[in-house]
Amino acid sequence: MVKRESPKGKRVSLFVTCMVDMLYPETGMSVVEVLRYLGVEVDFPMGQTCCGQPAYNGGYRQEARKMAEKFLRAFKDAEVIVTPSGSCGAMVRHEYPILFENDPKLREEAERQASITWEFTEFIVDGLGINDLHGRLPHPQRYAFHDSCHGLRIMGLKQAGRTLVGNLENATIVPWDNSETCCGFGGLFSVKMADVSGAMLRNKMEHIEQSGADAILSGDVSCLTHMNGGLEKKGSTKRVMHIADVLAEGIRQGKDNGSPVK
Amino acid sequence: MEVQSNNFIPAARIAIHDADLQTAVAMGTDSGFDKRQAVMFADGKDHGEAIRRQAAAIKRNALNSLPDLLEQAEAAMQENGIEVLWAVDAAEANRLVLEIARQHNVRSVVKSKSMVTEEIGLNQTLESDSIDVLETDLGEFIVQLGEETPSHIVIPIVHKTKESIRQLLIEKADMPPTDDTDEMARFARNYLRQRFLDADMGISGGNFVIAETGSLCLVSNEGNIRLVTSQPKVHVALVGIEKVIPTVEDYATLTQVLPRSATGQTMTVYTHMINGPRREDEADGPEHVYVIFVDNGRSKIYTSDYCEALACIRCGACLNGCPVYKVTGGHAYGWVYPGPIGAVLTPLFVGLENAAPLPYASSLCGMCKEVCPVIIDIPRMLLDLRYDLVRMGYTSLDWNLGMKAYAFGGASPRLFSWAGKAAELATKGFKLNSLPGPLAGWTDYRRMPTFAAKSFHQLWNETDGDLEDVDEQ
Amino acid sequence: MSSSREQIFQSLQRKDRPFPSAEAPSTYQHMVPLRDFSPEELEAVFIENAQNAACIVHQPASQEEAINTLLELVGEDKIISSWEPGQIPLDGLETALEQAGIARVGEDAMVQVGVTGVDAALAATGSLVLSSGNGRYRAASLLPPVHVAVVSRSQITEDLEPWLAKQRTSGLEAFRQASNIVLITGPSRTADIAMQLVMGMHGPRELHIILVDDAV
Repeated sequence: MVKRESPKGKRVSLFVTCMVDMLYPETGMSVVEVLRYLGVEVDFPMGQTCCGQPAYNGGYRQEARKMAEKFLRAFKDAEVIVTPSGSCGAMVRHEYPILFENDPKLREEAERQASITWEFTEFIVDGLGINDLHGRLPHPQRYAFHDSCHGLRIMGLKQAGRTLVGNLENATIVPWDNSETCCGFGGLFSVKMADVSGAMLRNKMEHIEQSGADAILSGDVSCLTHMNGGLEKKGSTKRVMHIADVLAEGIRQGKDNGSPVK
Repeated sequence: MEVQSNNFIPAARIAIHDADLQTAVAMGTDSGFDKRQAVMFADGKDHGEAIRRQAAAIKRNALNSLPDLLEQAEAAMQENGIEVLWAVDAAEANRLVLEIARQHNVRSVVKSKSMVTEEIGLNQTLESDSIDVLETDLGEFIVQLGEETPSHIVIPIVHKTKESIRQLLIEKADMPPTDDTDEMARFARNYLRQRFLDADMGISGGNFVIAETGSLCLVSNEGNIRLVTSQPKVHVALVGIEKVIPTVEDYATLTQVLPRSATGQTMTVYTHMINGPRREDEADGPEHVYVIFVDNGRSKIYTSDYCEALACIRCGACLNGCPVYKVTGGHAYGWVYPGPIGAVLTPLFVGLENAAPLPYASSLCGMCKEVCPVIIDIPRMLLDLRYDLVRMGYTSLDWNLGMKAYAFGGASPRLFSWAGKAAELATKGFKLNSLPGPLAGWTDYRRMPTFAAKSFHQLWNETDGDLEDVDEQ
Repeated sequence: MSSSREQIFQSLQRKDRPFPSAEAPSTYQHMVPLRDFSPEELEAVFIENAQNAACIVHQPASQEEAINTLLELVGEDKIISSWEPGQIPLDGLETALEQAGIARVGEDAMVQVGVTGVDAALAATGSLVLSSGNGRYRAASLLPPVHVAVVSRSQITEDLEPWLAKQRTSGLEAFRQASNIVLITGPSRTADIAMQLVMGMHGPRELHIILVDDAV
């Protein structure tokens, strides 16, 4: 793996992910809002669609490679790639080098893009060295974190999101012993093994109800869609929100304090 | 054991709707998981992780020299007075045990828990030769009474509630009705006691074989292994060929990381090193000890890209950590090895075509790898097995076509965008309330997702990347 | 039979090692990180861990008191299963048993109390090491519901790793000579019934440790 350079001062190319693109464009907007607030230049390669993870995880590597080639082309001019997803980030950072390891033409580019790919919260905290957005939530909120599995175990994400949200005024993070348990989404697993996925969701929702939090925060809209889909079907009042949306809300309130950058 | 792994999805559904099973399995696995966490990190997280790396290195180093170690173990065992036999497959392993039994006029056998003997269906073989076989591990004894199969590598009856165990003991073993767990265990002990003392032959598995000393090593808590390997005149051990390790130092690490991972103990109550039959000056112990090294598909795994699966020390930690196993229990996997390691081993042993759902029976959450004492990369192997399944044509047509369509659409932003638009129209406009084809299972458990009126691509394009003054959706 | 063996070795042939970068550990970390324990500290650690494993530890003030403790544990029984007294670090044990009219057998399924010595006691886990041998009946620590182990303080060592290292310095010969070596950590138990812990399954239900200074 190519060593990771500091992304400070570089232009960020947003890898918005297919689910954010189709289902939650406002979360994409939150990401851009926060990054621009931090003084980061953000562009959006229009040629992107999906990183190919669903095909890859299904064992369909030919199809995954087709989509990954498209991704590599779309991001060929990127200096830094930021994505609001642990699983999509893991796909590019960890699986692309494997997918292209025997491809003499694309292996180098795959490794390059892998080395410049950051998940959104780790980009801010580890990449830019910023812990505090000086933001403020309009009302006090208690949040518990759900650590999406690929983000947690493959990308090593755990503290960054908690740090950023925890430093928002009016935000309290409550400890939750179910945070590292899989929600049961697993991509196409959610439909291929629907009953198992549903039972895992059932267990997750029990723990959400017992969490003592107003809302659960996640860094992945995939997990979020699955959990909210279950919570809504059940008639629960609890919801799962994306970290980026909370941070964006926080900086809108706290904008009067000015940007924390330099 | 008969293979029913292709039945995983319906079998899982039955387990999920079995409230007693859900409660029992959750309790058993939570208990195992919590205890493992506590003991592995009792001296700090760094120390626990260092021990895992050490155990992982030990097993991989051993696998690197497996043939040499097997030779060394055989020679050392023979010097110790142990007779060493080799079984290519299940049929031969069964035949060898029968031959030994006949040679020693064996009519009754007491047996301790051994997954290898489940693989080969040993009990049925002995019983059809009119040899009485009694399982002595309490969980396996209950399994035998109930004429079912174990559902966990370490806790065979994790799927059973106390009430169902009680019922079984009353109906099948004439236990006087009691609710008290102590009394139930005492009843089982007494029931099995005389059989231990009278049995002609004891059959065990093997947790480790130390090559340099020719020692057969076993762990237990109940004491049944001690009885099985000490009381009868003949002791036969069946051991998978992957269990050999080089030195006593390797053994010290593995025999202590095994109970920590399996039950949260620093040492099992009984940790045995068996070096041979009774010596001339000893008054007890077996007169004959046989070790049968069993291949039964292991050499094929050894020479494949999945060799790492042979590092497994059968601790069950991956089962205890797995959110899938927690809701399906072990029987749904359809063969001897359930849970994450079972999802890898089963297709490798019985053929992908006979266990096609198993590599997909995972959300790839990675908890198995996180708790495995020898750091087996189960998620990686599941991904590779899925690729194998696709390449070999064992995946269904609707998924194959769906993926082609997805890749086709995904290769073009325009097509992708149209697909999103169509989805939005279908759900909002035409009130489509379930997803098409293989995706239909979504709405069994979740509300339909809402497709945005304008995709992010569109919003970016329309505002030239500005994104200000976009109506909140 | 040799053809099956050949077949298996043939099937195991690979042109490369499966894990090219794996090596045996250059140093083996102990499972329980060790400090430099003084003998008193080591003894305290052993007692604590043995008790955590549900052993009952007796600390008589003298060899004589130790024998009394033993006789109390035997109670009214007139027969015990026991190692040869020469293998147990209690002075005058044989005489005391004779005087109390208690017979010794190697193996008897009906006996209630079994008495043994040990090869070593492992402090880090509260375990006892028992190897079989002449006069060291397996049955004595296995069949009776009550096992009494007499441990002399000099037999306490830190853990399994140093005990094995000690075996290695004598070439592992003695190790291999014993047909059976068992580490015993507390009385037998099971949690197979709905995860409820029950003490006393197939092995002893009670394990008593009598800790003594070396016999003179």
